[in-house]
Amino acid sequence: MSGAAMQRAHSAPGSTTEPAPARDREVELPARSADSREKFTVSIRRPSGPPRVATGLTDLQGNAVTAACSTCHTTRPPDHENRRATDLDDFHSGMSFSHGTVSCLACHDERNYDALKLADGRRLAFTDVMTLCGQCHGPQMNAYNHGAHGGMTGYWDLSRGPRVKNNCIDCHDPHAPQFPKMQPTFKPRDRFLDHTRTEH
Amino acid sequence: MTVDNADDSSRDERAGTSSGPTLPILNQPSSRRTALKAAGAALGLAAFGKAVSPLWSIPENVSVDEFLQQHYKELTDDEKRRVFERLEAETQRQYGKDVTISDPPPIPGVRFGYAINLSKCNGNGACMEACNQENNHHRGVDQSYIRVLEMTKGSMDMEHGTTSYDHSVPQEDKFYMPVQCQQCENPPCVTACPVEATWREDDGIVVVDYNWCIGCRYCEAACPYHARRFNWEPPEIPADEVNPDQGYLSNRIRPQGTMEKCHFCLHRTREGRLPACLEACPTGARLFGDLNDPDSDINWVLQNKRVFVLKEELGTQPNFFYFFD
Amino acid sequence: MPSMTAQKQTSLASPDAIRSYPRFLWWGLGEATNGGLGFYVWMFVLTAISLVGANAWAHQVAEGMIVTNMTDHVSWGLYIANFTFCVGLAAGGVMMVIPAYLYDDEEMHKVVIIGEAVAIAAIVMSTLSVVVDLGRPDRFWHLIPLIGRVNWPVSMLTWDVIVLNGYLLINLHIVGYLLYMRYLGRKPNPKWYVPFVFLSIIWAISIHTVTAFLYCGLGGRPFWNTALLAPRFLASAFVSGPAFIILVMRILRLTTGYAAPPGPARTLIQIIRVAMTINLVMLASEIFTLFYTGGAHGASAQYLYFGSHGHYGLVPWIWTATAFNLVGTALFFMPAALERGSIRIAACLLCIAGIWIEKGMGLIIPGFIPSTLHEIVEYSPSLVEWKVTAGIWAFGFLLLTVLLKLIATVFTGDYEAGPIRGPSSGQ
Ligand code: SF4
Ligand code: SF4
Repeated sequence: MSGAAMQRAHSAPGSTTEPAPARDREVELPARSADSREKFTVSIRRPSGPPRVATGLTDLQGNAVTAACSTCHTTRPPDHENRRATDLDDFHSGMSFSHGTVSCLACHDERNYDALKLADGRRLAFTDVMTLCGQCHGPQMNAYNHGAHGGMTGYWDLSRGPRVKNNCIDCHDPHAPQFPKMQPTFKPRDRFLDHTRTEH
Repeated sequence: MTVDNADDSSRDERAGTSSGPTLPILNQPSSRRTALKAAGAALGLAAFGKAVSPLWSIPENVSVDEFLQQHYKELTDDEKRRVFERLEAETQRQYGKDVTISDPPPIPGVRFGYAINLSKCNGNGACMEACNQENNHHRGVDQSYIRVLEMTKGSMDMEHGTTSYDHSVPQEDKFYMPVQCQQCENPPCVTACPVEATWREDDGIVVVDYNWCIGCRYCEAACPYHARRFNWEPPEIPADEVNPDQGYLSNRIRPQGTMEKCHFCLHRTREGRLPACLEACPTGARLFGDLNDPDSDINWVLQNKRVFVLKEELGTQPNFFYFFD
Repeated sequence: MPSMTAQKQTSLASPDAIRSYPRFLWWGLGEATNGGLGFYVWMFVLTAISLVGANAWAHQVAEGMIVTNMTDHVSWGLYIANFTFCVGLAAGGVMMVIPAYLYDDEEMHKVVIIGEAVAIAAIVMSTLSVVVDLGRPDRFWHLIPLIGRVNWPVSMLTWDVIVLNGYLLINLHIVGYLLYMRYLGRKPNPKWYVPFVFLSIIWAISIHTVTAFLYCGLGGRPFWNTALLAPRFLASAFVSGPAFIILVMRILRLTTGYAAPPGPARTLIQIIRVAMTINLVMLASEIFTLFYTGGAHGASAQYLYFGSHGHYGLVPWIWTATAFNLVGTALFFMPAALERGSIRIAACLLCIAGIWIEKGMGLIIPGFIPSTLHEIVEYSPSLVEWKVTAGIWAFGFLLLTVLLKLIATVFTGDYEAGPIRGPSSGQ
């Protein structure tokens, strides 16, 4: 079958951005319809936990040393004014940030940098990041819940098999959520098709 | 008018024998001319045999069983099984790959619908590639049932679209519109076909019996969506790329000279799975489901989004929808 | 040949002479293949071209339609273009019958049988054109009612196959019967052919209408989707058919001495004048609608006449056709066209070539350009397609030559040991 197709869906762009949370775990959600025919469920891919940041160091075995967010942030006072990478004088300064004008601490919890924060101040685990996104992106969330936003694999018919849906951050880098540009790699090569006609 | 019967002709023959040769051609005044004529005819026949000699290679590819095979709808289960076995063996011989040919029937009560979110589609063409691989398309021309049009914002006129764009996508002033078989409720291709080689199944999928199609390409002229593809030559697929999960009416390797088209991956979707193009889509622009299920995602889109179909004015009533966010 | 004469007279003497029809056919074949050196050279050349065509077709069947230049975008090409023209020729050949019977124009009768012969050859050519266009000719039997599975009455192509074959049978019967009776020296019994003649008139109109419906019934192809298509087809058939017959009559007169009085040719010219004018008027109104309204409907016409997006593949074709048609029509309107002479011949040739292009390359191909997704993929026939088409024409001419030879022989009574030299044959 389309092993390649599966592969492609799983390596959707956005997953290459830094910091990269591990995304192995999948969490089952109850199927939307209560129809008893639906024996299987729709699950959403979820990050396995808080991201870890590369330090640029390697250990004795040559492996990269990564650090939890809290490793540094417990030693530094939070600054609510930081909104851009250029605002930062030390770490993360190379990061590209383009997500409206929200401040870093609108989403990151200044009391515990290994977690996220909802608008009402409640703490949120990184694994539940979609709840955070959904606060502002209601229409997208609504569409997502109805299959009209976000990629998926598996079964359309839940009485025959499960379905797995992408997480928001599978495709959108939270710091620069615009879907990245792509280069088409597969084009029709019909005989006599005029390939120069790209504009008129 | 051409009344003739045996005893009469034999009487004529007898009469002929008594008065000389029967054949009028031999009664011509010049026997040289006659001989020349006969020689000419013989030579002509021989030349004809030589001229059409390339045809003699065909019996290797077209077995007697295949030649005599009946229309799909007339095959009994037993005959189908034998046909599938024969096709599996042929694929093994010609492509060096063990494949299974199945024939999942439509799921009762299900009518398939497909929708594409044009606000999401960015024209990267992953669906085309997935289609090419899933459906055992000819690799030589990167065949696929899908074509993605790059359209100019502000116009729905395909005149301003192109499929041969080659730059990073999406471009600022463009939007992207994949077109494949719209699985029309009222399909002009089916109306056109002179031998009923293509028809609409109960779940709305329009299929082709690749072993019944005579290759007249009338359906290709009739389809308003450029959805049909003809096998101008035998498809080339390396053995390790052949998808062994094949359906008789869907992605089995098609014979040369026959018509094919998108079948909503019926070997997958009739087993409950999503189509390959949908799974491949990195933007999540594609949506597939059962139109008869009021709670299905596709019905939510039809009710909550502004949806349109292509060339609605033609009355083809597609089961394929487009919408914007 | 005394023996031959004796033999024929025996069979004729028997009251059920009709039973020797096969013998008549056999005799006819013999007669039709007799001729001078020029005749044999002509037949040899035609046979050679047919064989080249057969060979090209065999290659196409073995290697796939990839040897043609057709594509998924332009899925019909020269074959179907030629098919369309040949159907017109076949229909036009018989429409000549109309004045003959409608006005009881006695002189026309001599032309009518030529028209029927042209129709037979043209139908065979159009059937061959469809067969060579099939991707799977080995599955031709799927089209045969009862054995195969025909999509009747829905598919226009099924209709076309049925009407074309029916038409062939009708005309074979008429020509065969008239010739046979003439050969026997009997007066043809109207009961046996007049109803068929009328049937064939209606049928002639139907074959061309159905062929037009084949295209104009396709909503997805705006260029074809016009109600004017069928009338235009008929009008142009009324030109190409008679023009072809005039040429054939000329050749017959020069080679066999089978001559019709000048009257029928004049009638034919009158028909051509009217039909060509109607054809051009309809074409003009078609063009007006396409260009004045503009929009997607005009895209194909734009491409055809002026090129579009830097593609001009059909522009030379259509302007050639337009020029031929206009000049040909002008020549037909010259008084000299009513006389035997080169003007008339030139006019016929120009109109035939003009209509061949207009109905073929100028109608079938632009229907596909731009494609339904407005892509532009151009088409020009491949060498294989030209060879096959030439082969079909050569075979058609071969057939026509044999038929005409037979007609000329029987009607001029120019066969040795003619069975009848009595008063009955001298009518
Ligand atoms: S889109 Fe074309 S091929 Fe598909 S059902 Fe409609 S007419 Fe037929
Ligand atoms: S190409 Fe095949 S499917 Fe299409 S109309 Fe002809 S016979 Fe039917």
